Amino acid sequence: MSFMIAGSLEEALTALAAGARPVAGGTDLVVGARQGKAPLPTSLVAIDRLAELTQIEPTDGGIRIGASVTHARLLTDPTIVSDYTALADAAALVGSPSTRNVGTLGGNVMNASPAMDTGAPLMVLGAVAEVQSERGSRTVDLSDLWTGPGQTSAKVDELCVAIDLPSRPARSGSAYVRLEYRRAMEIAVVGAAASVTLADDGTISDGSVALSAVAPTIIEVDGVAELMAGHLPDAVGAAIAAAVAEAAEPISDLRASDSYRRHTVGVMAARAVDAAARRAAGEEISVPVNRAIGVGASR
Amino acid sequence: MPLLTESKHFIRPDGPDKVTGSGRYVADISLTGMLTAKFLYAGVSHARITRLDISAARQVPGVFAVLTQEDVPERRFGSVADRTLFAKDVVRFEGEVIAAVAAVDAEAAQQGLDAVVFEYEPLPAVTDLEAAIADGAQLVHEGWADYEAADVERDGNIASFTSMIRGDVEAGMAEADHVVSSRYVSDASQPAPIEPRGVLAQWEGDRVTIWSSTQVPFQARDGVCETLDLPTNRVRVIVPHMGGGFGGKCGFHYEAHVAALARAARRPVRLVFSRQEEFIAPDRRREGMIIEITTGLRNDGTLTARRARVLLDNGAYSSDASFFPHMAAMQTLGPYKIDNIHVEASSIYTNRQPSGSVRAPTAPQACWALESHTDELAAAIGMDPVAFRQQNCVDTGETGVAGQVYDEIGLQDCIREAVSAIDYSQELDENEAIGVAVGWWPSFPGPSGAFVKIDSDGKGVITTGAQECGTGSVMTLPILAAVELGMEPEDFELVYQDTSAAPYDEGATGSQTILNNGRATVEAAQQIAVQLKSLAAEKLEASPDDIVLADGKAHVAGSPELAVSIADLAGVAAEGEMLLGKGSGTPPEYPSAVGVDCIGDRGLSGWVGPQFSCHAVKIRLDRETGVVRVLDVSAAHDSGVIINPIGASGQVEGGVLMGIGQALTERTVYSEDGAQENPAFLDYKLQTIADAPPIRVHFVEIFTPGVGPHGSKPIAEAPNVATAAAISNAITKLVGRPVAQLPMTAERVWGLMQGRGGG
Repeated sequence: MSFMIAGSLEEALTALAAGARPVAGGTDLVVGARQGKAPLPTSLVAIDRLAELTQIEPTDGGIRIGASVTHARLLTDPTIVSDYTALADAAALVGSPSTRNVGTLGGNVMNASPAMDTGAPLMVLGAVAEVQSERGSRTVDLSDLWTGPGQTSAKVDELCVAIDLPSRPARSGSAYVRLEYRRAMEIAVVGAAASVTLADDGTISDGSVALSAVAPTIIEVDGVAELMAGHLPDAVGAAIAAAVAEAAEPISDLRASDSYRRHTVGVMAARAVDAAARRAAGEEISVPVNRAIGVGASR
Repeated sequence: MPLLTESKHFIRPDGPDKVTGSGRYVADISLTGMLTAKFLYAGVSHARITRLDISAARQVPGVFAVLTQEDVPERRFGSVADRTLFAKDVVRFEGEVIAAVAAVDAEAAQQGLDAVVFEYEPLPAVTDLEAAIADGAQLVHEGWADYEAADVERDGNIASFTSMIRGDVEAGMAEADHVVSSRYVSDASQPAPIEPRGVLAQWEGDRVTIWSSTQVPFQARDGVCETLDLPTNRVRVIVPHMGGGFGGKCGFHYEAHVAALARAARRPVRLVFSRQEEFIAPDRRREGMIIEITTGLRNDGTLTARRARVLLDNGAYSSDASFFPHMAAMQTLGPYKIDNIHVEASSIYTNRQPSGSVRAPTAPQACWALESHTDELAAAIGMDPVAFRQQNCVDTGETGVAGQVYDEIGLQDCIREAVSAIDYSQELDENEAIGVAVGWWPSFPGPSGAFVKIDSDGKGVITTGAQECGTGSVMTLPILAAVELGMEPEDFELVYQDTSAAPYDEGATGSQTILNNGRATVEAAQQIAVQLKSLAAEKLEASPDDIVLADGKAHVAGSPELAVSIADLAGVAAEGEMLLGKGSGTPPEYPSAVGVDCIGDRGLSGWVGPQFSCHAVKIRLDRETGVVRVLDVSAAHDSGVIINPIGASGQVEGGVLMGIGQALTERTVYSEDGAQENPAFLDYKLQTIADAPPIRVHFVEIFTPGVGPHGSKPIAEAPNVATAAAISNAITKLVGRPVAQLPMTAERVWGLMQGRGGG
């Protein structure tokens, strides 16, 4: 067993090339090992002290979020909350305060759980992952990155260093709504993220929907933009729910049956579209949207 | 009735230790040369052992001892003596211990386990309660009629049976204008203490000291003595801080396994459970139940008769569960006035984890069924469910279901207070509703002892067999001693965890500390009061009868200025006859229950100090998903005079939150062959603090003679009775029918709205 704390990104990439696995918050790696999902890797490199991975910075075409940015930071960062609100909605629902304080966005993305909360928001916001190795750097679309439950197309020596998000169109909004049975330490039974852009007349001009926990990976629902275009937001709920239920391929497990998931993911998607559209129209709906209009919300 | 301590809030003595981390739990203690213990579990629900070979395991480097049933005396234990320390010939549930290993570290212990050869021939797993009692059913215990068991009615897979008959149920049904029948099914759930249990044993010569996270150190000691053939004066059980129990750490569990390992290894040995072991292995889970109730009533709301049949999932062994049928029968009848009853309750062996006492055993499920049914009764005659309860619940001087006539009780006050506190008649959103339910729970008299001493500086120590699993003996017992001696609770240290230092007590079980150990502590303190008064009388030249102990002083009645401090008197006593008190007292007797015929009687028809409660719960239903959120709770309790308000309120708040979990999210899911599918907190969903609604606690304080000190009654289990029932009744108001399955998960509520399931 070897454990190394990387002092620079280069050191980390060298260690990965030599077969080490990266660890930042350890919320998936350590918990998974304890549950017997997978043993702890025999060689670990800690990347949590690499300052270059903890920045949220503007780019030419949008924003770049370092892979080690924690959920706690995502849900309070002013730019994320105002412009990429679905991501803040999702970050606010992850685990508990302690999970959110150590769990990172890069870890969440590379763990590739189909039930991850930040995945569907990243997808509707058009995110790409920046991965790096000693061999060089490349960007990957999330739909190409996630290949199955816990599986990515990244090579073992590649490290996710950042997530890049394009800038948001005018009059746009986003939201992530999750079905949850309790308010902390919960894992998505199903979840849905939506992005909506409004035309001047208040109808929807563009939009997208992505889903958690209803397929082997996070999936984006095809045809949503066409379905919504030209309609007022409050007229599209039923059609969205139907399209989503059609796209979902849920399983039955301890948390829910497939039929319940298929139904509720439609409900979540319709609510996400509603919240995203209201945000696009300038309404303030606090983060996470689950507490304001979501499941079992109190008045 | 004024509170004894004028609501004095003091810091519980173990609080800072627990909050700052300075407190030591079993897993924090290590001894020189200590080994790690691990168990090999059956991993199969029902099988005959065909080969068990530990010879290779004993050769694994670092392994000091490997034990099986061959290595310990052949002793059966349990309320029905149906269990041995290790599996013998047959395994009956997945968490049954086959072998135990002690090794230098966890890795070596695991290698030892891996080297054990365990072969078996599978037997059909008994998992369906109805099928288990059908003719020709596979038996979980063949030939078990030979096991020793006191006062248990048993047959086939029926581990224990109770019937209660009073009046003429046929005639009562014939008088009814309406007969309402309901069937309710409850899943099993878990005590889920935050600290997985630990046991550490060390031998010195022929004496063993065992540190164990047990709620009942004397039962644990007696279990070790019984199964390892040891006298009580060679076994000492000490309990460090405990991280909760909720009944899960009642009973005798693994102390003997670890003691036997330590003896064989000639080294101290420590066992600390993983979370998964804490779910799967202990013989303490809340049993699944099937509850069928039929009640006759007249148009004016009078209850004319009740018939009920209750099936309880006993699991593979009986632990302490053989009284459950009688308790479930009483819970299915409830605190109502019904003259004609016939209830039959059976606890049925299955190849699942054994059931055992979890906070208010049988009550949350049976009360949930009864109170859901009661709302159905009210609906049948178009009566408001609160008014229906006000008409039919027992009050002072009235006769209950088993013929017991109640002295002064506060159930009607509880209903009034709970309903008023939640503002029952408020205008509600179409997705909101308020449900109400009543609950009851007995007190359990038993033997108990305490020593009290006052040292030379006037500070005291209470040494008792009582236990602290969070229920507050560290607060209540010092308050009781302080009241007797005119001192402050902070003047007392509590030594409560050592079977060789303290007199016997049943431990933190059955909410009994205040009743029994309270009585013992008061009596011990009173002996010291007599000594102090005598010393003060000499000093103040007065009669001992005229001495008053108050504010840390002894003074002459009517002349507070003629006083001497208790510290001064203690200094005098320390030079001569010391200030030592011992108490035990006579436990109150059970009242008779008149006119009830009871087969399988476990003495639970007549209740000492019955505690009553009414919970009112406001919920909001997400109609598109079935998710229920609890928005507001009011809980009114008659537990007599409250000795320690802050502790008692904490018990109610915790009980309600546990009840919300049982109502909505907590359940153990079993595979068809009896294995647990969610033995982890990821998918066994407790409520979190983020889910906690406001909980308004109200105590209906009635001085209750003949139960606990100062007119008190117990409180720890009673708050865990009525919450799920109240939530059920609120859900029914929104969806039209009871969910009839516990927990009432979002998917089950949604299914009911889709026209599937429900009662």
